[in-house]
Amino acid sequence: MKIDHSLPLEYSTEENRLKIFGFWIFLGAEIMLFATLFTSYFVYENRSGNGPTGAEIFELSPVLMETILLLASSFTIGLGIHAMRLGKQKAMMSFFAVTLVLGLGFLGFEIFEFTTYIHEGAGLSTSGFTSMLLTTLGTHGLHVTLGFFWGLFIILQVKKRGLTPETANKSFIFSLYWHFLDVVWIFIFSFIYLKGMM
Amino acid sequence: MKELFPIKQVMGFVFSLILTAVALLVYFVDMSFTAGMTILLVTAFVQAGLQLVVFMHAGETEDKAAIYSNVYFGILVALVTIFGTLLIFVWDM
Repeated sequence: MKIDHSLPLEYSTEENRLKIFGFWIFLGAEIMLFATLFTSYFVYENRSGNGPTGAEIFELSPVLMETILLLASSFTIGLGIHAMRLGKQKAMMSFFAVTLVLGLGFLGFEIFEFTTYIHEGAGLSTSGFTSMLLTTLGTHGLHVTLGFFWGLFIILQVKKRGLTPETANKSFIFSLYWHFLDVVWIFIFSFIYLKGMM
Repeated sequence: MKELFPIKQVMGFVFSLILTAVALLVYFVDMSFTAGMTILLVTAFVQAGLQLVVFMHAGETEDKAAIYSNVYFGILVALVTIFGTLLIFVWDM
């Protein structure tokens, strides 16, 4: 394996570079996946039937907390990658751990929100609106849940093997995934919640 | 300690918090639907771009052009899907 030492570890072999590029292609597909969810949501947004409307069930404070937690976690994982490039494994692992804790906080608020919705009679089969709302939010939440476990295993592997071209590459790709989840959330925050409460 | 907090990323984070605060105006200030949507579109896309460039290092390697074309293509398909569908199903054109 040819290792180019002029580049950061995660790019240091051709295979690593291609893996990162491949992951960007996957993210392109994810953009389209969420686009179809947003499309269906916008179509059913006002079809609330006998169920509640967005303005009735959306509440600003939990949503704002989720937004701040996810924004902060996106920042800390960025710092984690920066520390990784400085070769500071301990600092990197701490930043990754903080990221995952913030992610858990996000999930906690989202689960609280979902139970409130169900309690207020906005279940998955109540109306076109609630159905697409919960599907869109749920798909994002599922991504975050998956990301939590992925990140956990990455931390364990870095702890066990140290920073190698391979573990650095995996960590960098995970950071791309995590930032992407924040990007999706920005759109959910703006065009589902804020638009619904406007 | 200081080297662990690069100014570029700290500023990126502060700026995204500011953009979130600006987006919140549509909730707290009484404004027309068009004005509100304009604010949301601008803040959301600027913030997404910020993540892409500052945090995801999209333009860092020789794959830059390919990465951006891929992202632009994803966004194009997303916009065509969303607005094409709205045009037919919601705006009745």
